[in-house]
Amino acid sequence: MACQDDLAGGQMKKRRALSSLVVVLLCGLLIGCAPRRSTGEGQTVTLAMGFIPNVQFAPFYVAVEKGYFADEGVDVTFDYGWETDLLKLVGSGDLQFAIASGDQVILARSQGLPVVYVMNWYRRFPVAVVSLAETGIRKPADLAGRRVGTPATYGASYIGWRALLDASDLEETDVSLVSIGYTQVAALTEGQVDAAICYAMNEPVQLEVEGVGLDVIQVADVANLVSNGLITNETSVREQPELVQGMTRAALRGLAYTLGHPEEAFEIAAKHVPEVLADSQKEAVSRAILERSIEFWRAGAGQLGRSSLADWELSVQVMQKMGLVGPEADTGSMFTNQFIVEIEE
Amino acid sequence: MSRSRSSTDSAQAEAFRRIRARFPAWISRRLEVLLVPVAMVALTGVWSAVVELGDYPAFLLPAPRQVWERFIAAASDGTLWLHTSITLTEILGGLGLGLVTATLLGYLLAKAPLVERFLSPYIVASQSVPIVALAPLLIVWFGFGLVSKILVCAMTIFFPVLINTIVGLRSVAPDLHDLMRSLGASRWQIFRYLEVPAALPVLLAGLKVGATLSVIGAVVGEFAQSDRGLGFLVNLANRGLFDTPLMFVALFVLMTIALILYGVVSAVEVLLLRWNRAR
Repeated sequence: MACQDDLAGGQMKKRRALSSLVVVLLCGLLIGCAPRRSTGEGQTVTLAMGFIPNVQFAPFYVAVEKGYFADEGVDVTFDYGWETDLLKLVGSGDLQFAIASGDQVILARSQGLPVVYVMNWYRRFPVAVVSLAETGIRKPADLAGRRVGTPATYGASYIGWRALLDASDLEETDVSLVSIGYTQVAALTEGQVDAAICYAMNEPVQLEVEGVGLDVIQVADVANLVSNGLITNETSVREQPELVQGMTRAALRGLAYTLGHPEEAFEIAAKHVPEVLADSQKEAVSRAILERSIEFWRAGAGQLGRSSLADWELSVQVMQKMGLVGPEADTGSMFTNQFIVEIEE
Repeated sequence: MSRSRSSTDSAQAEAFRRIRARFPAWISRRLEVLLVPVAMVALTGVWSAVVELGDYPAFLLPAPRQVWERFIAAASDGTLWLHTSITLTEILGGLGLGLVTATLLGYLLAKAPLVERFLSPYIVASQSVPIVALAPLLIVWFGFGLVSKILVCAMTIFFPVLINTIVGLRSVAPDLHDLMRSLGASRWQIFRYLEVPAALPVLLAGLKVGATLSVIGAVVGEFAQSDRGLGFLVNLANRGLFDTPLMFVALFVLMTIALILYGVVSAVEVLLLRWNRAR
């Protein structure tokens, strides 16, 4: 009898333990599946930026330091990461705002990510092909028969390269393209490649500050694709337009102030990226990078922050030709100018 | 305590014997092996359920069916074999290079304590440098081809194989050395008939670790720079195309390669160490 009581008691304990485990698992599942909603006014918002802290993000650092985000009732914290990861987080609703390139937005939307480009930042596509002056590569046609290094055969650099070929009537087979990772400077100076694809405000500036003679072919001169801007998701546009408006307005004010006060903008950016002041060489390079970047932010005419449908359509066409995007791509849904307001520089 | 643990073990063994007895003999003899596909089906079911219940989009967590369809597409258009063959070349090259250099250096260090004392701090310190930071440098120094990736792979497996070689050689009892010398054995005979068989169990254990690490090494090299290979495919899918199912396909192929390599080393171990089990 005592044994049977023990057995019954043991079985009861096991049933209770199992029920508790099931309840805990169900609670966890419900919590995990619960829709994520942002808080109301005066909220903390994370603005994620691709890559690492850099003076190139000066407009956003300025917007924080000058209180432009605070004026909109938003307390912004910065985060950094790979652009594509940030887009996935925005698309899934785990992040509300990020800085990303328009070509990545096109790709993301083609894979069902509900991201929206709400503010244009770079007015000129920053990808370029740089070569040492002695190589004699001064225009796209000079690239025929040459060895060109690319960081990767995907991403904005590669898309820009394909656009350059297309606009210059060059075939892929006319040029020997080599994947070199982010070793453009070494690859050029060591003669491993004749030219390298890069961002016009990065490697070329580094080499110019060191006194190296260069030729730079800007992709934007032949094909101005869409580039970096502020992105959010469709849910935020639909359910929190005031927040999106506030973020856009603050970012535009930061951009305008940076364009009007580049020296002060550099000093503010240096607070977020203190490494730029490590020595005079680094400071000189960083100042030059910011100056070159400003040329891309200021370029052209038109309202600051407004996206150009022509640039988006061109970008979609290039990517459709590359097979990255299908024919059903809806260009008009990828971006919006509804939050752009007039800002004085 | 030990009596209650042994009684628990025998109770479990008895329970497992009763489970086996319910199946036909040919199944009960192979139950451990047959459980593998059963576990795979169960895990796939859990994965599907998580995707369904959580309503996750494909770019976040694709369903098993989506990954399978992507696998079929990538396999049938040749994409998968192209990238797999490149990574396999890097892995096998890295394994070969790493194994040869680690065992040779391991033998030298095991036999020459003075040399070991001199070199050990530098060898250990070199392991604290993340290979992911070294990989871009190796690419600049050794070029954009397979050589730099093979080097990254070899460096990844070098340390565990080296340590296991030294430990294995030093595990030979001094008495056996004395016996071999007393029988007039030459240095080569001592190496061939005593040191190698004695060191093999530990060496092969290190090789098992190295074999799986070699996959990581090849991928790290490709992450730094490449335009082909499964590591490149992971990057392309994740960072270039937002094609998470394709990324999963590449990851599963990498896992399969690691499992096969581990299995091959285990089979070699069984073959070469029959004398050890017979004792």
